[in-house]
Amino acid sequence: MFSLTLRQISRNSFVGANVSAFNVSKYSTVPEATLDIQKCTLHKLEHGPPTQATVTREDAIRFYRDMRTVRRMETMAGNLYKAKQIRGFCHLYSGQEAVCVGMESSITKDDAVITAYRAHGWTYVRGVAPHAILGELTGRASGCAKGKGGSMHMYTKNFYGGNGIVGAQVPLGAGIAFGLKYENKPNICVTLYGDGAANQGQLFEAYNMAKLWNLPCVFVCENNGYGMGTSVERASASTDYYSRGDYIPGMRIDGMDVLAVREATKFAREYALNNGPILIEAATYRYHGHSMSDPGTSYRAREEIKEMRETRDPITVFRRKILECNLVTPEELKKVDIEVDKEIDKAADQAKKDPEIPLGELYNNIYIHPDPDYTVRGCDPSIRVISH
Amino acid sequence: MASAFGHFGRRSIQFTGFRRILHYDPCNVVQRSTSEIRSFHLNRNVDASIPVAMPALSPTMTEGTIVKWHKKEGDPISPGDMLCDIQTDKAVITFDIEEEGILAKILKAENSKNVKIGSMIAVMVEEGEDWQNAEIPESSESSSEASTSSEPSSAPSAGEPTARIRMSPAARKMMEEYNISSPQTVPATGPHGMVNKGDVLKYIQTQHLTKIDLRKAAQVPPSPQKSTPTTPSTPTSSPVTRVPPSITVSPEGGYQDIETTNMRRVIAKRLTESKTMIPHSYVSIECKVDAAMKLRKKFIASGTKISMNDIIVKAAGYSLQRVQKVNSHWSGDSIQIQPTVDISVAVATDSGLITPIVRNAAELSLSQISSTTKALAVKARDGKLQPQEFQGGSFTISNLGMFGIGEFSAIINPPQTAVLAVGTSVLKPSAEGKPCSYLTVKMSYDSRAIDETEASQFLEKFQQVMENPSLLMV
Repeated sequence: MFSLTLRQISRNSFVGANVSAFNVSKYSTVPEATLDIQKCTLHKLEHGPPTQATVTREDAIRFYRDMRTVRRMETMAGNLYKAKQIRGFCHLYSGQEAVCVGMESSITKDDAVITAYRAHGWTYVRGVAPHAILGELTGRASGCAKGKGGSMHMYTKNFYGGNGIVGAQVPLGAGIAFGLKYENKPNICVTLYGDGAANQGQLFEAYNMAKLWNLPCVFVCENNGYGMGTSVERASASTDYYSRGDYIPGMRIDGMDVLAVREATKFAREYALNNGPILIEAATYRYHGHSMSDPGTSYRAREEIKEMRETRDPITVFRRKILECNLVTPEELKKVDIEVDKEIDKAADQAKKDPEIPLGELYNNIYIHPDPDYTVRGCDPSIRVISH
Repeated sequence: MASAFGHFGRRSIQFTGFRRILHYDPCNVVQRSTSEIRSFHLNRNVDASIPVAMPALSPTMTEGTIVKWHKKEGDPISPGDMLCDIQTDKAVITFDIEEEGILAKILKAENSKNVKIGSMIAVMVEEGEDWQNAEIPESSESSSEASTSSEPSSAPSAGEPTARIRMSPAARKMMEEYNISSPQTVPATGPHGMVNKGDVLKYIQTQHLTKIDLRKAAQVPPSPQKSTPTTPSTPTSSPVTRVPPSITVSPEGGYQDIETTNMRRVIAKRLTESKTMIPHSYVSIECKVDAAMKLRKKFIASGTKISMNDIIVKAAGYSLQRVQKVNSHWSGDSIQIQPTVDISVAVATDSGLITPIVRNAAELSLSQISSTTKALAVKARDGKLQPQEFQGGSFTISNLGMFGIGEFSAIINPPQTAVLAVGTSVLKPSAEGKPCSYLTVKMSYDSRAIDETEASQFLEKFQQVMENPSLLMV
């Protein structure tokens, strides 16, 4: 496989045809450019998303910045974990940034998103600031859930988390879509899950109900090749996850290309609002192990990870593309890099220094609107504390 | 090599568009320079060197050993590269680094042991920097550890819902029971200054507090009164009755101590010594005692009152004469076969079980044994036994037949080597179908001195004699 692809690459090298970005004038940039996207494999769809995408300068810089932020934030989370500032579970999204950034760009703030536990990137694109995310991971009061929940409990408006149980969020996502349809809202619910969860039974129940009632639900399978430590070939009889919806049309897209994801999501949103559920399989990759306790190298070769980092890294590839098409200058991107790094470093410092919540918070957030004199009993019968 | 691309290798064939992408993509993959990959991460803090701290590669790790460095000073580092192998508390794990730059200095060389989490192990600089002259940033890890550890400890005390002494529920109950009005006086040894049940118990012991009856205390107007420490009431110092004491609920509590007499204490000590030091083994046998009973009736009819026990004593004496090994003392590391058969007969008295000795039991007649035993029993119950009357002996017989006990095992009385426990006689169908009286005897013997064969021989003889008492006449 490997040698075959390599031969392909070498055959296609145009020595002169490729204009290095650094030779073209550095001072003029075009306002927008059209880039090619790989064609998607379709299932029960007549036509899929377009094979070309137009991207403006602003969008390009925004995508780049967002992906950089997610990547840097995940790296920082990893470092904090290794410094024992974050404990418990920590599932990192490095390598899959294109999926969250690309999808977010095609949906509105009123569309709902629900995903599993690899949720830090999604939390960010849904509007939570990095210092709130890192604060939540380190368990501080400035975290988005007051530090009470950590990695598994990140929520914001129209973002339903952050779900620990594998595949549990998919029926919930169908339910959210049902709610949206019930209230006649022109919105969809993006329900994400992984290749490991794709074999869970409740997904198929959710597919059935979604298709039966034509719910505006976009099911997205983020296929990163490994379910914890099991590769897809060893886990699934059919690794064509886009066709697993059976009667639900689907497509497989390149999850490492932010523009491909954007176009596909645009197409899918349109489809879901008019015709009912649709399934997207985003072929992506994660660089870290499943979680921080998994080194990630016992079930795959280091060379494979290195290869992916070098040839298909979403940020690197996108950067190269927009530089070569003169959408941006290298200095601009450099500036973005510095800003992002500074922001995340600051957020991490803050996350390390912020205070934890006081012990009295233990008794709060049981009911959303408790009576003013509602008290909770502590472990000791003589302790009663008013709950808010 | 198939693993190198894994499913993506296969996918490259399934992706019908993959090759076409490469064909038409103006930004061709192969034309990139390697520096381009790195420039993506360039320019973080342009002038600062990046410290590399010892990572916690497992949640329980506090320190580790750097086994091997994969990079040398001056090597470029890309995100995801292996930096070094670290031996954690569990295994050797490779430390991957996500930063990018050049490894400027290695601060902890290979085989550095006990490197604490958070301490600096290397310094990196950005690409393009002069790595030879990189400055080593000061370490600030220990302060962060200390601050986080002090924070949680201060948070609970600050955020306590009520300012109170922390105590476990069991400790609180005990404090109520023992009427400790000021909990601060109990020294606390639990985590975060919590008062444990053990602390309260220790305090009670040192202060000699007594339990108060909470029901009574509730009736009394609630003013805490310190009850004067009193010792639990004891029965009068004369030898206590063997009847179990009446369970009266004394004001202090629901239990009562029985004062032990000297004798009971000695019995206790000796029995413990015996049971723990002597390897007891047990053999038992059933004897048909119809003949013996008939003989007894005959004697009673002709005027001599003898009991079953006397016959047993005589039978035992007879058997001991013939299996001399059982008639012995164990003297630490050798067996001393006693010259005469002195059988200690167990007698129950108010103050405990005592074993007066029937000297030379094998030579005495049945009536002699009977009278000796009776006299000794009277003396024992009055407490008037002379020391030589109960010290010594080569064999003990304990008979619980009068209580209806079917079978039991006794504890050997050192330095003797065996004891015979006699049960009651029960009517059972014999091998021919006739109802016969059977008596079960169980011998406990010292395995150091007597082995199974000898013990069995003894019991065989005993059974023979019991079943044919006329042998005793010989």
